[in-house]
Amino acid sequence: MSHLRSILNRLLQLIPVLIGISVISFLLLRLAPGDPVRLLVGDRASPETIAAVRQQYGLDLPLPLQFLRYVSNVLQGDLGLSLRFQRPVAELIGQFMGPTLFLAGYVVVLTVPPTLLLAVAAAKRPGGFIDQLIRFLGIMGLSIPVFWLGIMMARFFGAELGWFPVSGYGQTFTAHLHHLFLPAVSISIWLIPVLTQSLRQALIERSAADFITAARAQGASEREIFWRHMLPNAILPTFNLLGVMVALIIGSTVIVESVYAVPGLGRLLIAALMGRDYYVVQGLTLVFALVTVAITLIIDIISTFIDPRVEL
Amino acid sequence: MFIPKSLFTGAVLLGLTGALSLSASAEAIRIVSPYPTTTLDPMRSAGAGNIETYGLLYSRLLRRNTETGALEAGLAESWEASADGLTYTFKLRDAKFSDGSAITADDVAFSLERVRTDKRSAYPGPLGAVESVTASDARTVVVKLKSPFAPFLGNVEIWNMGIVSKKDVEARGEEKAFTEKPLTSGAYVVKEWRANEALTLDPNPNYWRTGYPKSPDSVVLQEVAAADARISMLKAGETDAVRSVPWSQVATMKAEENIDMRLEPSTTIWITLLNHRREPFSNAKARLAAAQAIDNKMLTQAVTQGFATAANTTLPGAVDFHDKSYPGIAYDPAKAKALLEESGMVGKEVKILVAADPAQQQMALLLQAQWQAIGLKPKIETVDGGAWWEAIPKGEYDATPNWWFNETPDPDLAVRWAVCGSCGSHSYYTYYENKKVDELVDAGTREMDPGKRAEIYKEIQAISTGEVAQIPLFYAPNTVAYSKKLKGLKLTPSLQWTLEEATIEK
Repeated sequence: MSHLRSILNRLLQLIPVLIGISVISFLLLRLAPGDPVRLLVGDRASPETIAAVRQQYGLDLPLPLQFLRYVSNVLQGDLGLSLRFQRPVAELIGQFMGPTLFLAGYVVVLTVPPTLLLAVAAAKRPGGFIDQLIRFLGIMGLSIPVFWLGIMMARFFGAELGWFPVSGYGQTFTAHLHHLFLPAVSISIWLIPVLTQSLRQALIERSAADFITAARAQGASEREIFWRHMLPNAILPTFNLLGVMVALIIGSTVIVESVYAVPGLGRLLIAALMGRDYYVVQGLTLVFALVTVAITLIIDIISTFIDPRVEL
Repeated sequence: MFIPKSLFTGAVLLGLTGALSLSASAEAIRIVSPYPTTTLDPMRSAGAGNIETYGLLYSRLLRRNTETGALEAGLAESWEASADGLTYTFKLRDAKFSDGSAITADDVAFSLERVRTDKRSAYPGPLGAVESVTASDARTVVVKLKSPFAPFLGNVEIWNMGIVSKKDVEARGEEKAFTEKPLTSGAYVVKEWRANEALTLDPNPNYWRTGYPKSPDSVVLQEVAAADARISMLKAGETDAVRSVPWSQVATMKAEENIDMRLEPSTTIWITLLNHRREPFSNAKARLAAAQAIDNKMLTQAVTQGFATAANTTLPGAVDFHDKSYPGIAYDPAKAKALLEESGMVGKEVKILVAADPAQQQMALLLQAQWQAIGLKPKIETVDGGAWWEAIPKGEYDATPNWWFNETPDPDLAVRWAVCGSCGSHSYYTYYENKKVDELVDAGTREMDPGKRAEIYKEIQAISTGEVAQIPLFYAPNTVAYSKKLKGLKLTPSLQWTLEEATIEK
């Protein structure tokens, strides 16, 4: 019962967060220089043409009025029309949502096994050769810029060797796996070192814990000790860190989707920003905020199952 | 410590599933471009991506021969001008829209009047001399002009002059008629439009040019902003043609075996716009000094690796009546320095506004270095396209490297855009103004004799270049890379793809 109440509380806290995000994104966009209509109608259009189109799209109204209109529409579930395409923002976001969600999930799937493996290997003998090697590789992975790595991998594994496509998303599940492999790897390469170091640290701390010595004294096998006692206790901080990383994964998809021409939300966001497609950018900001908050909440809930002492 | 082996196997398996399922090649001709299609309404936008799309969807009264560039019959099978040059009569051929309904003179009058008179029309300029467009019968269109206008026939061939269906637009309403599947009069119909991603077209079964499009394949116009991604796509066989190959990659693409890297003729001119309304460039001597300080041959070599030609006048090198014999402004830093001192503008700050594009960044750096050398204080400010367009019309800049292109070989629209102070664009927002030039711009359209027109445009170029309306930089070809499997495709100087004449080897 107290669980449910806490979840409800957290959901209520969402409301001011979303309002704040809407106001800030609205103001930032509108105060930034640039006119969507100019970019839409093109260089040769006269000021009169631009004024006429602005009027048609309601962009000539006072800002507070535009904001009120926007908010009341959003409250009714209407994110508005894209200025560039004259299509519902929700439809556009729906069109580009799939590849990004798939990519984010793929990143997690590609990241977790190597993280476990490397952290365990490194924690086995802290300061030993393997630990040093893993740390060295980790620093390499962290320091290579994502966009550069993306371009290089697309050139080599895509264009030269032909192993992977360098653009698009594909039609079937296996095609998605194939198309998004390089993009997902590009993100995993910096994500794995971050999580590995965290898990390694936790494992080392736990391996010296009293309850491990106790388990050993009771005659538990090493396998049992690892799976039953060490890992569940060590994984929690890393798991929470993964939650925080979600925001960074979303940030990385923006870069990676551009480099690999993946038709995802990141590419939509960049094009919408460049074209000052106000309602698309605002809609995307709301979606990203919701997703981030939802994932953090889910991670917190799962945490309470892993360790009942954790409170929401 | 125990290391679980199953984790390892899992990771390897995942990688393999990815590598094994290779995608099959598609039955389509694919072109990848950084420029998006945002509307299918030929009246609504002059954006680069839209211009290219319009030409595939809508036929015009006249068309240009894709080999020679000469004007020839389009939807109009014949036409004649009255002796006073004030009335043009077009006879339409027996042509149909994509749904099989007839294309009538009413549709032509409707389409052209929309472009000419609708308040939201992106580019009514080319029909500026038109008084009225009417249908005298189902197959005859009569265009009345306010005054004789030499570029008229060329202007009805421009990208926004495509013929749309009056009945359909009125029945479905403008927004619906052009955001879903429009009725088309051109070589293709819309199969699927995934906004911000790709536009897929199918051949129009009712297209008036029998036997075209030559290829029964669909066409996919892919939109990818990142140049590196576009090039990887061509190398990996995921596209068949790449628009806007960066200068730095042209040489390596030329060396590729299966790729035809072409530098196609274009009416693009790169210039440095100068703001004539503020110091230092409101001062004529300071402008000349700034121009003499720029070694534009060196700049062309550095920025385009020698794939473009240094510009000698304010007009594109590929338009009619471009004056090839004009000497241009000679590079002379010593003279420039002296001239700047004479002007009293030494030490003045120059705000160089520049877009975040690598080539433009490079140009800004070169301008900065060379202007610094003669005693100006240039500062570079990098902005995106949106902010650039906010600042330029308001005159909130001192200099900016930029480009433009001309829709037709006729120089009329070019001079109106770039050097005419009274034509609405304020000489591309430099606010350069010369009464004599404005008069010549007008005279150039009234004069029908090509020899006399050549003299007029020669004078316009001499005056505007001499007064440094802008600093001419270089004439850039369109850099397009094609798969060698493609035959017959090119991008014309008017930025139209010759897709209906293209075929692809399977």
